Amino acid sequence: MIEVRNVYKHIDTGSQSLTILHDIDFSVPAGASLAIVGRSGSGKSSLLALLAGLDLPTQGDILLQGNALQALDEDGRAKVRGQLAGFVFQSFQLLPELNALENVMLPLELAGVADAEQRAAHWLERVGLAHRTDHLPRQLSGGEQQRVALARAFAPKPAVLFADEPTGSLDSATGAVIADLLFDLNREMGTTLVLVTHDETLAARCSHLLRLQAGQITEWLAADERTLLETAV
Amino acid sequence: MANLATRWAPLRLHWRLFARSMAAGEYKTLLLALVIAIASLTAVGMLTERVQRLLLGQANQLQAADAVLVSDHAIAPTAAQLAQQYGLQTASTATFPSMVSFGEQTSLASVKAASASYPLRGQLALLPPAQNATLRSGEALIDARLQAVLGVKTGQTIQVGQLNLTVSGIIDREPDAAFDFSSLQARLLISEADLAASGLLGFGSRVKYRLMVAGEEAQLEQWQASMKPKLARGESLENVRESRPELKQSIDRAERFLRLAALLAGVLAAVAIVLAARRFALRHFDTVALLRTLGASQRKVRAILFSQLLLLAGFAAVLGGALAWLAQTLLVWLIADQLPAPLPAGTLWPWGWASLLGLVLLLGSAGPILLTLAKTPPLRVLRRDLSVNVHWVWQYGITILAMVGILLQIAQDIKLAAIVGGGIVLALASVALLSYGVLHLMQRYFKRGSPKIALRQMLRQPGLLLAQLAALTLGLCGLWLLTVVQNDLLAAWRAQVPANAPNHFAVNIQPEQQAQFSQLFVQAGLPQPKVQPMIRGRWVLHNQQSVKPDSYAEPRARRLSEREFNLSWGEEERADNQRVQGPPLNQQQPGWSVEAELAEQLGIRLGDVLTFDIAGMPVSAPVVNLRKVNWGSFRANFFVIGSEVMMREQPSSAISSFYLPKTQPQLIPDLVRAMPNITVIDVGQVLAQVESVISLASAALRLVFVMCVLAGLTVLLAALDTNEAERRREAALMRSLGASTRRIAQIWWLESLFLGAVAGLMAGLVAAIGAWYIAYSVFNLPWLINWALPLYSALAGMALTALTVGLRLLALARTTPMLMLQAD
Ligand SMILES: Nc1ncnc2c1ncn2[C@@H]1O[C@H](COP(=O)(O)OP(=O)(O)OP(=O)(O)O)[C@@H](O)[C@H]1O
Ligand SMILES: [Mg+2]
Repeated sequence: MIEVRNVYKHIDTGSQSLTILHDIDFSVPAGASLAIVGRSGSGKSSLLALLAGLDLPTQGDILLQGNALQALDEDGRAKVRGQLAGFVFQSFQLLPELNALENVMLPLELAGVADAEQRAAHWLERVGLAHRTDHLPRQLSGGEQQRVALARAFAPKPAVLFADEPTGSLDSATGAVIADLLFDLNREMGTTLVLVTHDETLAARCSHLLRLQAGQITEWLAADERTLLETAV
Repeated sequence: MANLATRWAPLRLHWRLFARSMAAGEYKTLLLALVIAIASLTAVGMLTERVQRLLLGQANQLQAADAVLVSDHAIAPTAAQLAQQYGLQTASTATFPSMVSFGEQTSLASVKAASASYPLRGQLALLPPAQNATLRSGEALIDARLQAVLGVKTGQTIQVGQLNLTVSGIIDREPDAAFDFSSLQARLLISEADLAASGLLGFGSRVKYRLMVAGEEAQLEQWQASMKPKLARGESLENVRESRPELKQSIDRAERFLRLAALLAGVLAAVAIVLAARRFALRHFDTVALLRTLGASQRKVRAILFSQLLLLAGFAAVLGGALAWLAQTLLVWLIADQLPAPLPAGTLWPWGWASLLGLVLLLGSAGPILLTLAKTPPLRVLRRDLSVNVHWVWQYGITILAMVGILLQIAQDIKLAAIVGGGIVLALASVALLSYGVLHLMQRYFKRGSPKIALRQMLRQPGLLLAQLAALTLGLCGLWLLTVVQNDLLAAWRAQVPANAPNHFAVNIQPEQQAQFSQLFVQAGLPQPKVQPMIRGRWVLHNQQSVKPDSYAEPRARRLSEREFNLSWGEEERADNQRVQGPPLNQQQPGWSVEAELAEQLGIRLGDVLTFDIAGMPVSAPVVNLRKVNWGSFRANFFVIGSEVMMREQPSSAISSFYLPKTQPQLIPDLVRAMPNITVIDVGQVLAQVESVISLASAALRLVFVMCVLAGLTVLLAALDTNEAERRREAALMRSLGASTRRIAQIWWLESLFLGAVAGLMAGLVAAIGAWYIAYSVFNLPWLINWALPLYSALAGMALTALTVGLRLLALARTTPMLMLQAD
């Protein structure tokens, strides 16, 4: 499903060249869930962006369900994202002038789905916001906004869901509720999940774990090892 | 069905984004800028157009028609038939001198035989005012002078040629009286039907025939165009503007005033749009990033962004158009009683142009940023890496080009547009230089505390600082030009027509009659009128080449060259005659002083040798200087003046211009009875027209001014709004870092005072100098630079920026840093 081969990312900051990702190499099968953990500044968000084709690696290949991302142009990558990917961000990223329903409809309409409105309404109901459809983001709490973002991410039935610290802006109780919702929907839809998080308990709920330190992989746990570990405990 | 829904889905998304953003107030500033721009330009344009039409209509009353064909022989009926085919109204007159008698008394009078439809424009007013002043066969209308000379009363019978006519009324005013220069002292109006029976035509009498035409502009032009090639010798098409220089000058001036106002409103509106549009584009970072992340292609993103712009422009065009219509209707209603006649209807063209200008500016200033934004990788956008690099040619080139094109269209006067454009460039360059210099100088002296922080903040984003300064400067400069300067210009113009401007000319005063002529005025208790020599001369040679009227392309030039000139000598320079080129005439050497505009039209340059045929003798001399004449002074003015040594011994008569109050109606009949050879021409109506042009222009300008001030204020708002959000976030940050409100206030005050002072000073300077230049080169008005304006302007600028700081501080006092950081 996701294959990463010898990926490097350099950044030119005018005076010096930073290597923010160093020889990243791994693969995750379809339906799996991958937690990317590490200290702040270790390169988690940068890696996620590369996996989603929001940015290009300086070197190396990334395949998203068989699509070689670097071989496509910007529009090609956007098309792949539109067909395959859903996103949840730490800062929600809802369009402030659209209401909850319209925010959920947005990716459906971009994809030209005919019954966008019904499907969006259905997904809002799934995240427990059926009664808030016509509220604007600023009229919703952080947790509610993130629910809208979850509905928006799942509505187009993506093959992969990219989540960058989805609970990072929320208090722990709300965060736990959102995390539960995320994992429930994920399991139900059979989506491949890539989750960037600081939270080790959240990471523990994923089948795969990747730990970054200064742009390098320092730990890699695949599904079978984890099940082994879990049964051992 | 489903197919159709899918097809329309994208459009629904575009519309929804637009509607929601509108409802959320996202597009507030930009919409305001657009609406005000379109509304002010449309209102100004419509009003200008309507007033121009009214002015022309009023002017046309002076010739009693919209267009006139003048001839020295009877005009073939085909000309009138052609006009009628075009759906135009026609009337005809024939004017000639004849003896009129009543009993023993006889007098020479100017007889006008008119068709029943005369006059087509303006009114024939009788004394006492009668309902319908119709011309019937067997009747005659006479003027007060003829009545006085003959001693005749209404109802009595007078003899003209073989006709016996009943005097049916006394003429108070004929609309086209000022045009009959052939008119002798007294006037008589008869029906055309009696003309043949009068026996007055035929034995080589000097008759001037006029075919008058009136109707729609387009048809008039068609008629004139098809008549032109058919004109026979002695026939010409007359235009009121060409025939009366004083009226031409005042209408031209009124038009330039209105155009200047429209031009400034356009510039102001454009600046407001450019500022707001940039901000609009920069605010769309998040939307673009999200759309790209969610898989929208660049084309899709572009479509969404540009549909927003187009919808905005369309919305603004409708709103602006409606507002403009309301505004100008209201304004016209407010000045209705100052108007000499109801304003003619306007067209939708000004609205079209204004909307186009709005759209082009919107696309030109927001477009390049949005296009680049759509291409930027989504990650950079998510990271708020805001360095969207757009090449400046791409960014500003198109906008500026489009603006120049459309402003030229509004100005329809390259000189005016060039002055305004040059002024803008000059103002911006000097603002940039001045602020750069002052800021760097200040950096040397202020190394601590609030001034240092304020300086650093301003220099951190020099582009933004300059943009703000530029907008403030232009806004203020526009406001000054429109308020203080326009008012002064208008006052200067008004001052050109003195309160007791001469309303009569007397010509053909013989040298030996001058003393008697003056004596009459003294006896009536009036000031002695100024008398100037007048010598008739035909222009025969230009640099030894014979003058060929046919060689001039312009009809006006052709006519001028054909005409017999009135020459004079003596005073060549006065308040209303200013030398523009060459030294004063040396009265002891031959030389000519020529009116500058005439010289330009006839291709006469300094040093050219002109020869006039005066009473059969050629008189040659070089052109020594060129003069600009202010025809509005209503004094006797001459196109060509010679030096004393050449002219003193030439056979001459004299011309005089004088003001005759309405309380002295007896003077003219007395004068005419005592010296029958003298011709008196009443230009009171022309004078009244000029005065009404001026007051109409000032009334219209006051209206235009309201719209312009709105446009100016929008610019100022947009300029101060450009970094309002950043300012607030900055303050919240400083506060959360422990800076006291006093410290923040100090920094803001310092910044705002600097901005206001520099922008205000420059705006005042440019407005003061620009006004002088405009007065001098466009309006030909005497003008002094108002050196106090920059000072007032700097103070006003500081007050304005201080006001915004005050408002910002109020907001700061009310909110917590948390709230401010959240609110964007
Ligand atoms: N465009 C860029 N310019 C300069 N440095 C960058 C850029 N993008 C990323 N970096 C640097 O790369 C490193 C990794 O950044 P990244 O955002 O991936 O970290 P992260 O692991 O997501 O951190 P956090 O947990 O704080 O979100 C950081 O040191 C960051 O400063
Ligand atoms: Mg991160």
